[in-house]
Amino acid sequence: MDKVLSVVAVVAYTAMLAFVAVRARVAREFVEFSLARRALPLALIFGSIAAAYVGPGFSIGFVGRGFQSGFLFWGIGLAYAVQNILVGLLVAPRLRSLKDCHTLGDAIGQKYDRKCQILAGIISVGLCTGFSAVMANAGGVVLSDIFGFPNWASVVIVVAVTASYTTFGGLRASVITDAFQFTVFSILMPIVLLLAILFHLNGGAATFAREASAATAAGLNSTSTIEIVGLVAAFLLGETLIPPYANRALASKTVRVSQNSFILAGIFSAVWFMVMISLGVVARSIIPSGTDEDHVLLNLVDSIIPVEGHALLLVVLMSVIMSSLNSLLNAGAIAFAEDVVKPYVKLTDRTALNIGRCATIAIAAVAAAGATAVPSIIKGLLICYAIWAPAILPAAIIGLWAKHPRPLAGILSICVGTLVAVTFQFILPSAIKVPAIIPALGSSILAYILGHWLAGESGGASPTLRLNMECEGWK
Amino acid sequence: MIAVIAGALSIIVSGVWVAIALVRAISVPRVRSIQNKDV
Repeated sequence: MDKVLSVVAVVAYTAMLAFVAVRARVAREFVEFSLARRALPLALIFGSIAAAYVGPGFSIGFVGRGFQSGFLFWGIGLAYAVQNILVGLLVAPRLRSLKDCHTLGDAIGQKYDRKCQILAGIISVGLCTGFSAVMANAGGVVLSDIFGFPNWASVVIVVAVTASYTTFGGLRASVITDAFQFTVFSILMPIVLLLAILFHLNGGAATFAREASAATAAGLNSTSTIEIVGLVAAFLLGETLIPPYANRALASKTVRVSQNSFILAGIFSAVWFMVMISLGVVARSIIPSGTDEDHVLLNLVDSIIPVEGHALLLVVLMSVIMSSLNSLLNAGAIAFAEDVVKPYVKLTDRTALNIGRCATIAIAAVAAAGATAVPSIIKGLLICYAIWAPAILPAAIIGLWAKHPRPLAGILSICVGTLVAVTFQFILPSAIKVPAIIPALGSSILAYILGHWLAGESGGASPTLRLNMECEGWK
Repeated sequence: MIAVIAGALSIIVSGVWVAIALVRAISVPRVRSIQNKDV
């Protein structure tokens, strides 16, 4: 009965998703594929950003952490909320104000030069493929659990279904299906918490407070200060402006919508983390204390609603995984067409659209192939975070704010940040005690300052700046 | 615990808000295409 209900729930969910994807329409121009014609309203952009970041780590992972270390991880997760609010206040409006800009790499190209755009594009495509492999792996695990297929077959099914609507519908289909998936998990997960608190928590608020305080104290005792600093850095910077978020900032209807959607998504993340952590805290008095971190949510739901619970949880998991995966496939494909191919070849709109579609399929294929090599969801995500922040953030954020950013500074920052991150993440992981993201970010900022100084006052000025100077001289 | 319950309810409200925007987004093109046909 349990198995039949799970299969029916997943099939019904997939059918509903297919209906929504079909209604989202096929993209017929590249501007529609990459920016959804810059016509997306606040609710859809907000829902899409939230759906893109609420993956397995921010749902199953946070419930497990709440079970083990109480509200310690809520404090760490607040860094993520702060990051989103800061991006909304300081970066998204500047990004959205740029004209003819399809990607973050495009913005870097406008502010520095073409070489920086290509470098940023290659890193964006690589990062989106890596993140997609992590999500494909998670999706494969869930589907194998339901149907009993081999893991590779489950990965292929999840990636193929997600890639099909992303390939044809582009960003609009990605955002619309994200909104559907957001609706599913943002209604179902809080209902699980309310059911647990109202009907299964013996002792009510007093038990909740006692368990929360005991778990948080245990978490603080077992986590060193340097670990907390590393985690806060990863949450604050790791996902900042990764390609799917940058694309949503660029596709917003207005500058104000772009700003407010990030601020709302930041506030939502703080509330979401609180609900997930609370589920973990409530689980302490319902399920056995030795339960494995990644199985806390599943065991809790099975204890509260045994028959329907499994099916319900599978639908929620499919939502969080597919919404993250489609955003990454679409963002990687746009970055490939716009930042890697377009700087070399002059493309017609139709050709750019076809390249974007082919790139979606190619990234999906590479992600499916690489999914089996992913060590674990959290480890996979941390590797991507460690490379993205040092490689791109200093150049992107300073570029958006500085009056005269110099291309040499951008190139040095991107190259040094990437090299140091790769060295400490893969080649010499035990050489330092702090996470790779911290030395890599420091090196990237130093390289930027060095490049800015070496480039001099006018020799390294960006083409746009030189053009502006020439125009002013002509006047 | 009141804050936690309020948080859970506010997430449900945001889910409903996005659902309404979603329904509008996927129904508007059809209405427009019908209007265009009439014209």
